Amino acid sequence: MKIDKQRLGNLQKAFNVIAIGTLSGLAVYALFLYLNIAIFGWNLGLIFAPLAAGYVETILARRFIGEDIGAISAFILFLVTVAYGFIINNPTLGYNIITVGSIVIIIQAAIPTFINYFGIVVVVGTLSYLTGFFKKITDRLVHHIRKLMNKPENKIIDTIALFSETESNHLLNSQNFIYITSTDPKDLDYDILGFFYVTKMVERNNHLINLTPEKVEKEHLYDLKQAKDECLIRLADKIKESGGNGIVDLDILYFLNGIGGSEFQIVARGMGIKIKEVHLTF
Amino acid sequence: MILTSANTLENKRIKEYKGLVTGESLIGANIYKDLFSGVRDVVGGRTSRYEEEIKKARDIALESMKEKAKQLNANAIIGLKISYDNLGGTMGNTILITAYGTAVLYEEHEN
Repeated sequence: MKIDKQRLGNLQKAFNVIAIGTLSGLAVYALFLYLNIAIFGWNLGLIFAPLAAGYVETILARRFIGEDIGAISAFILFLVTVAYGFIINNPTLGYNIITVGSIVIIIQAAIPTFINYFGIVVVVGTLSYLTGFFKKITDRLVHHIRKLMNKPENKIIDTIALFSETESNHLLNSQNFIYITSTDPKDLDYDILGFFYVTKMVERNNHLINLTPEKVEKEHLYDLKQAKDECLIRLADKIKESGGNGIVDLDILYFLNGIGGSEFQIVARGMGIKIKEVHLTF
Repeated sequence: MILTSANTLENKRIKEYKGLVTGESLIGANIYKDLFSGVRDVVGGRTSRYEEEIKKARDIALESMKEKAKQLNANAIIGLKISYDNLGGTMGNTILITAYGTAVLYEEHEN
């Protein structure tokens, strides 16, 4: 109860202090208006009235309550001066975009975090998300810089490399070589030649400007598929060199590598085998 | 089409090894937009949205693989492996899903 009473008392004191602060701010503003202290028709009371209010309030609060209460009267004064100086009595600017800008700047000075967050994150973020504005700007910038540097633009722009699944698979399975992913094909009679391993790095394609994320992904997928085919064919060649004609326990692995994930690594590995007597029908 | 990760087919004889079949798919870019529409993602209750996307991508990979097996006149895929790899992208949301196995032609045992 005691604490509550003390709190209540402090609250009342705080109200009084804020009221006094506000009044002194208003008095200062009135003084500035009366004496017409202005630069380019811009009354300096807009700055000094909130400052005076906050100053008076802080000093009184420290004296009577013992702590700061956040210069609330300064905010009130900010709102009052903006409302009076720009909206009710607008002597210099008239009503235009400059007025709006000035109001925003002044309020921004009063409550910077909120206004900045609202202005930059919420408004600009929503607009750029809806219109893709910044992406367009950066795309154009890249375009112009490239033009200035006389660099021919990459030809992949807005096209997708062709990759035929059917052709790829036909190619893989028509080399007089058999890929087997299982570990121990009991139906085959074979000799083991050893462990074989092929790896390939694919650089992430960073030249895909003017493309939607979906298209970029498609392009990456094609790159990966082609790299996988290359790996498998090289693996088959290696085993053939060792006199084999097949592979068991084949694994195809994909990794993200390089600085900041700038490269993909593809690994094909398995046990090279030589199938003894089998009718390989390809 | 029988899909199995094992080496053999139970009670069936593998008549012919047809070769490697693979399927790949990639997800990521569209996931963000879809996630935005799902308020459930924010309020909790582990959404199935992401899982659905992954399932869709896995189906694409598997279908592509099965299609190739059909072209090889196979009726089963053995030694099937499916893997999910993170390929970075925006906040690591690009996921590559690969499926590969050995296409075979089997016949039922005579006994």
